[in-house]
Amino acid sequence: MPENQIELIAHLARRAGFGATREELEEYAGIGYEATVDKLLDTSSPKWMSEYLIRRYHPDESSMLAGLSGLEAWLYRMITTDTPLLEKMTLFWHGIFATGYPKVLNAKPLSDQIRMFKKYAMGDFRNLLVEMAKDPAMIIWLDNQQNHKDSINENFGRELLELFSMGVGNYTEDDVKECARAFTGWTIGNCEYMELRSARDSDWPYGRISWHYEFDANDHDNGEKEFLGRKGTFNGEDIVEIICEQEATARFIARHIYHFFVADEPPVPQWPYQAPRDPEAIDQIVQAYFDNKYDIRSVMKFVFNSDFFKSEDCWYEKVKSPAELVTGVMRLTESVDRPQYEHSSRQLRMQYMGQTLSNPPSVEGWDGGTTWIDTGALVERMNFASEELGRVETPGSNELFNKIAFEGSGDIDADRIVDICLKHLGTINVKDDTRSKLVNYVSKNGVIKVEDQGIDEIGKEKIAGVVKLIASTPEFQRA
Amino acid sequence: MKTVKTIGINSNQPVGRGFNFPYDIAINDDLGKSRIIYLLNRPNSATRLGTRIQYFTFEEEWIGEFGNPLDDDEAKFTRPVTLDFNSKNQLHVTDEATDEIKIFDSDGNFQRFIKLDSDSHRNADQFGPAGIAIDSDDFIYVSSRYLNVIQKLTSEGRVVTEWGGAGSGPGEFEMPWGMDVDAQGNLYVADWRNDRIQKFDSEGNLLHIFGESGVAIGQFNRPSSVAVDTNMNIAVADWGNERVQILDEGGSVLNVLEGDATLSKWSHEWLDVNLDEREARNRADLKALDLPEHLKNAYHEASQTEHKFWGPVSVKFDSDNQLYVTEHSRHRIQVFEPVNLK
Repeated sequence: MPENQIELIAHLARRAGFGATREELEEYAGIGYEATVDKLLDTSSPKWMSEYLIRRYHPDESSMLAGLSGLEAWLYRMITTDTPLLEKMTLFWHGIFATGYPKVLNAKPLSDQIRMFKKYAMGDFRNLLVEMAKDPAMIIWLDNQQNHKDSINENFGRELLELFSMGVGNYTEDDVKECARAFTGWTIGNCEYMELRSARDSDWPYGRISWHYEFDANDHDNGEKEFLGRKGTFNGEDIVEIICEQEATARFIARHIYHFFVADEPPVPQWPYQAPRDPEAIDQIVQAYFDNKYDIRSVMKFVFNSDFFKSEDCWYEKVKSPAELVTGVMRLTESVDRPQYEHSSRQLRMQYMGQTLSNPPSVEGWDGGTTWIDTGALVERMNFASEELGRVETPGSNELFNKIAFEGSGDIDADRIVDICLKHLGTINVKDDTRSKLVNYVSKNGVIKVEDQGIDEIGKEKIAGVVKLIASTPEFQRA
Repeated sequence: MKTVKTIGINSNQPVGRGFNFPYDIAINDDLGKSRIIYLLNRPNSATRLGTRIQYFTFEEEWIGEFGNPLDDDEAKFTRPVTLDFNSKNQLHVTDEATDEIKIFDSDGNFQRFIKLDSDSHRNADQFGPAGIAIDSDDFIYVSSRYLNVIQKLTSEGRVVTEWGGAGSGPGEFEMPWGMDVDAQGNLYVADWRNDRIQKFDSEGNLLHIFGESGVAIGQFNRPSSVAVDTNMNIAVADWGNERVQILDEGGSVLNVLEGDATLSKWSHEWLDVNLDEREARNRADLKALDLPEHLKNAYHEASQTEHKFWGPVSVKFDSDNQLYVTEHSRHRIQVFEPVNLK
């Protein structure tokens, strides 16, 4: 199998998933790149750790009473899923339609929103926007329950245009107001009681009650509206239809896709003033959006098969988000086969790195890119990856030891040790300078010897030391 | 089966009155005074704060609590699962993290523990005690979620016999959980992952299998607990289907309960001093359901209402054959009248 083919598929696995083991990469390489893309895009029957099993062990992650319970359950899914692209797409939309616990104050609707993203993440963008507008957590997050036919609240209407679809500069203030009118009456059931409980952070008498969407026909403005140059008695679905027809929408979503899956772009507020890194790639994604009638799965298929995605110029050009880093590391350890105490601390480590899922810093989500890196976060990222991957007792580490032992008895060359470790951690292609430092480290720590019984404990610790160093390299910290 | 009352209120405080993810109860009927309920809380995966046993009367008079990890002593729990009394009113509690059965007197004073052993099982690093049931001769039955066996122990903890093993065949288990012993000394096991109840005699001989996987009546989805009344009616906590099914001795379904909670005494007390919530609550329809496609199942329906069971994890009968259903996600107990065959 040509190594450059495996390296290209490793790049795909880092972007369309959370990285992959060497064995998975060789399996993918066996069917070829395009077939691997198709396999990753097939999200028809995803499997992950049973939600019943999670509920049995963590009853708090069943009823979502606490703010973090939903994201802990989601982290289990990301670590154990056999369909990583679905989780990546869910993260992608969560970053755009960023909805946070501090205002919603009810973890179950937030968790339900993530479920909704999973269902609609890779389908028709129109359906996703409509479901997002009906999502109870989003309604409370952007105050649409206060958007009445005789007194509009334009918060949701504005963000729908500014942050969720078209971007600043592509609509007028009148469009915002008309858009808001179309979504009047889109509220949640038992709104008064639920809003009061949410404002009070009340879980009495019997815990949180989740929310459901309700259309209040008496509070909906059925009058004529003028929106983006069109006139009619538009409702929310009509507005979404018009939005999705706009080139501005296609460009906005295309740039988000490029930013999340191809290479880091500047933060969204700078987009009106700063050209895309690769305008031609954006043009191509826009074309794919219209050619495929807003079907996101088809757009992603185009992106992953494109030359701009495959180009080595964009390999390791993205800083992994804390969610991607933590998930990818834990998948490599292969140690999460059942619920564990330690799981709660993993999501805390993710927070220390600067990302709490379902708690974005603002409605604009996370900026991403190099904003993930500051002195504190970088140390936390390196420590987490090194600690978890450096544990000698995990199944992932044991596989690595077996691979090295398979080299045969006797002293193993330092260069070979580094090579095996880099491949084991997902076929990481480090710079020559980094590689020579790794080789020096192995050489200085003394010979690693394979005996008849395999590698002794001292040898395992030496190998774990190499793995810890690799986990700290820029290439491992990037995707 | 009509509801008798609802007991409890949620509390996220680590001490004091109120439930926080209740996981099981035991009922002490033998004190010659008020009926005392011992309720096990298993909250917050990260900190374990609030993990403890609370005890209170049937009339919701709060008495006390014990086993809190905040009290750094040998009585503290890590991941407790189920509890049962023996004939001497000693409360036995399984802890799946420490592989122990902790034993307390009825005032919550720690007495001793029994350490469960997985050493005889290859590739097993933990026993993982889940369910516990104690027969009239004080033999202790404990189910192991990791070894997939049932062990019968003397009251001192010596293993008398063991049976089972991982699998879905007759007499095998997949992560067994709650158990109960009937008046004739037969053992009923909620074979959780196999979606069935298995009935054994006291030596471990298989007598009957009830149910199969599914959502139809008579089928189960991850049953977590089973209880048998003095008339041999069998209550099954059909946990994954968010309901309780009542079977007769032969396995025919007599009743399906989905919950019909009322406001408990403690809930009334809370609403009495939070009148704006009481008034808004009175104007709400908490039984309304109109869920989108991605939320159409029993779990999500339960989360959207308040009267239905949500996480009915444990079933127990008292000496009058009243049925107690403990819900971990609604932080309460619903009590039902005895099964009426007529």
